[in-house]
Amino acid sequence: MFSTKTTEQLKLETRPSSTGAKSFYNNPKYRAWIYQSFLLIFLVGFFYTIVSNTLDNMAAQGIKSGFSFLDSSAGFDVLMSLLPFETTDSYFKIFVIGILNTILVSAIGIIFSTLLGFIFGIAYFSHNYLIRSISIIYVEVFRNIPVILQVIFWYTVFNSLPIARESINIGDAVFLNVTGLYLPQLVGEAGSGFVYGAIVMAIIAVFCIKKWAHKRQDASGEQFPVLWSSIAVLVLLPLLALLVSGVPFHFDYPALKGFNFRGGITVIPELMSLAVALSIYTGAFIAEAVRAGVQSVPQGQTEAARSVGLKESKIMSLIIVPQAMRVITPMLNSEYQSLVKNTTIATAIGYPELFTVFAGSALNQVGQAVEIMFMTLAIYFALNMFISFVMNHFNKRTELTTR
Amino acid sequence: MQAKEFKPLPAQPAPESTIGPIAWMRENLFSSVFNIAVTVIIASALVSIIPGVLDWLIFSANWSGTTQADCVKDGACWIFIKAWSQQIFYGSYPDGEIWRVNLSLMLLAGVIALSFILPARLRNKVAVPAYLILPFVCLLILNGSHLGLTPVSTDLWGGFSLNVLIAAASIIIAFPFGFLWALGRQSDMPFARSVSVTCIEFFRGTPILALFFMGSVMLPLFFPADISVDKLLRVWIILVLFMSAYMAEVFRSGFAAIPKGQYEAADSIGLGYWQKTLLIIFPQVIKVSMPNILATFVMVFKNTVFLLVIAVPEMLQVIMTALSNSNWLGGHAIEGYLFVGFIFWICCFSMSLLATSIEKKLDTSHKN
Repeated sequence: MFSTKTTEQLKLETRPSSTGAKSFYNNPKYRAWIYQSFLLIFLVGFFYTIVSNTLDNMAAQGIKSGFSFLDSSAGFDVLMSLLPFETTDSYFKIFVIGILNTILVSAIGIIFSTLLGFIFGIAYFSHNYLIRSISIIYVEVFRNIPVILQVIFWYTVFNSLPIARESINIGDAVFLNVTGLYLPQLVGEAGSGFVYGAIVMAIIAVFCIKKWAHKRQDASGEQFPVLWSSIAVLVLLPLLALLVSGVPFHFDYPALKGFNFRGGITVIPELMSLAVALSIYTGAFIAEAVRAGVQSVPQGQTEAARSVGLKESKIMSLIIVPQAMRVITPMLNSEYQSLVKNTTIATAIGYPELFTVFAGSALNQVGQAVEIMFMTLAIYFALNMFISFVMNHFNKRTELTTR
Repeated sequence: MQAKEFKPLPAQPAPESTIGPIAWMRENLFSSVFNIAVTVIIASALVSIIPGVLDWLIFSANWSGTTQADCVKDGACWIFIKAWSQQIFYGSYPDGEIWRVNLSLMLLAGVIALSFILPARLRNKVAVPAYLILPFVCLLILNGSHLGLTPVSTDLWGGFSLNVLIAAASIIIAFPFGFLWALGRQSDMPFARSVSVTCIEFFRGTPILALFFMGSVMLPLFFPADISVDKLLRVWIILVLFMSAYMAEVFRSGFAAIPKGQYEAADSIGLGYWQKTLLIIFPQVIKVSMPNILATFVMVFKNTVFLLVIAVPEMLQVIMTALSNSNWLGGHAIEGYLFVGFIFWICCFSMSLLATSIEKKLDTSHKN
């Protein structure tokens, strides 16, 4: 009969070690053990040296260890905080504020870089020569300039804006001056919970419609206008709630009081320049990813779709985009992760995100480098893992199902 | 009966309406109402912006002079760049010793040229050792104390040459490390594999700025108290480890691109593991990973600017120091940043063009 052995088994059998080995060190199995024990010994020695050196050095410099410093009062102010903060608050509060600021700038950056990336990535395929060139110029210019230079550049630009009295005024609602960008804030009054509830209800309803439409199409082949009905539900339900409850909202407009603006939402120039620079820089990479994704779909797919009689608009949404997303999503994942890591450049302009405020200011005062760096890095790893988790979940849905 | 000889008619010229600049414009600028509107809007925006920008950059810019007082015209003050050019390119390296920096840069260019010129059979034997020795030779030349030259402290190294040299030195040393980690990652030995994966994921997951920061605040704690390691050397170690992780991933995708038959063929002619890896697999991995290696180099080159955060006088740091100089307080920040951006853009863009052309040369698929 035919031999059913695999090549690997045959290889193992013909090796001298298994056919009455002369020396044990010629056996790959023992060799692997020997190599790995060398590696282990090296690593143990390496870490032992590092740890003992660190402990010695810390003892010599009088640096304490442990996490007890987190409870003590920080004694310095932070430029911007999403939580109420006083200088007497603890280092742990500083840590939390840093994390929130990092998440804020990452979220803004991710949203705007995705928008920019998709706009310019699609623009590459425009029939208009000028649009095409602008897309190429955008990608090639901003991708090839260090992001930290871009941040510092925008910071300089925002710092040369006019003073508060001569603010750039857009419709008496939005003001831009050297101290930042002032936006009107939507304030909910009593009864606004009803409207929020309606929005949540509308979102749930959209999911239900989508599921039901899918089921119906599977069963009967009939299509249901999911997009239009979803938009209708999303607009009409909250609108109805708004009217029923008597519009329980008003805008808080920023207004010039004394030397500066009060009220509304204030975006400090540090946050603005960081968000602008990160969005533009990462957007260039995303545009490149989108371009690569669309180009990765073979021409034959479009032709095949036409030949089965799909409309041009359906070809894009049903054939090209789902296949392009398979290439784009993993790249988006890594771009988002590098965006989160790049928020650390805030330290060059002083925006108080985690790295600047905790690994910078707090570390300067406490001196416990090991603990503080450990905590900081743990947060970046956690944020990146979260992004990775979400994107992988998204990727699973777009992935090609193979055997 | 003799068959009539087939004589093709001469080719007809393409229809007038499909060739020439007019047809191109009709196709690419004015193909529909929407396109006409877009073209008009963009063109008018460009017409209104470009003359002003060009005027500021070139025509009314100040080109000649030596001090800030010479910047009398409205445009950019390029005298600022001119006056600081030596610091921008060489940092505070002593005047008489600048030839050493130039020599190092030329050695780098020479080794790169060597690896392209040499015949294939010598390339791996000569170019690889030359690359690996190069960073240490440059270190000896720039430091000088072991060669009988005037010793120059690393605090004085700086400027654009530092960006170039430290990026090159890091990626060169990251090559063997990255290769080793990539081999470890796909090895059969479970412990070696997990160590490699941990190294790669740690250095890829950490922001480079945090790594630089650790290099300046934590690394000194790791060494015995009586050894003080130079700041630039610590930065170099950090950059090498960081790059190794990225190179390992580049090599991993390179390994994945090598057909399994290559391993089996090497096995069948009786090559050992290292012979197989270095003689058969490595050259092919290098070839297919070349575009990614260049992209990684562009990344590390851009990342060298991050060094300004820990006060290493690289190019941008020099510009910022110059901006706060009391003789130049006229607000030349935009000129300075544009200049740094322009230099980096030229370098990175040409490298990415090179990467694209190599990629095209390697791409033999017949898609589309």
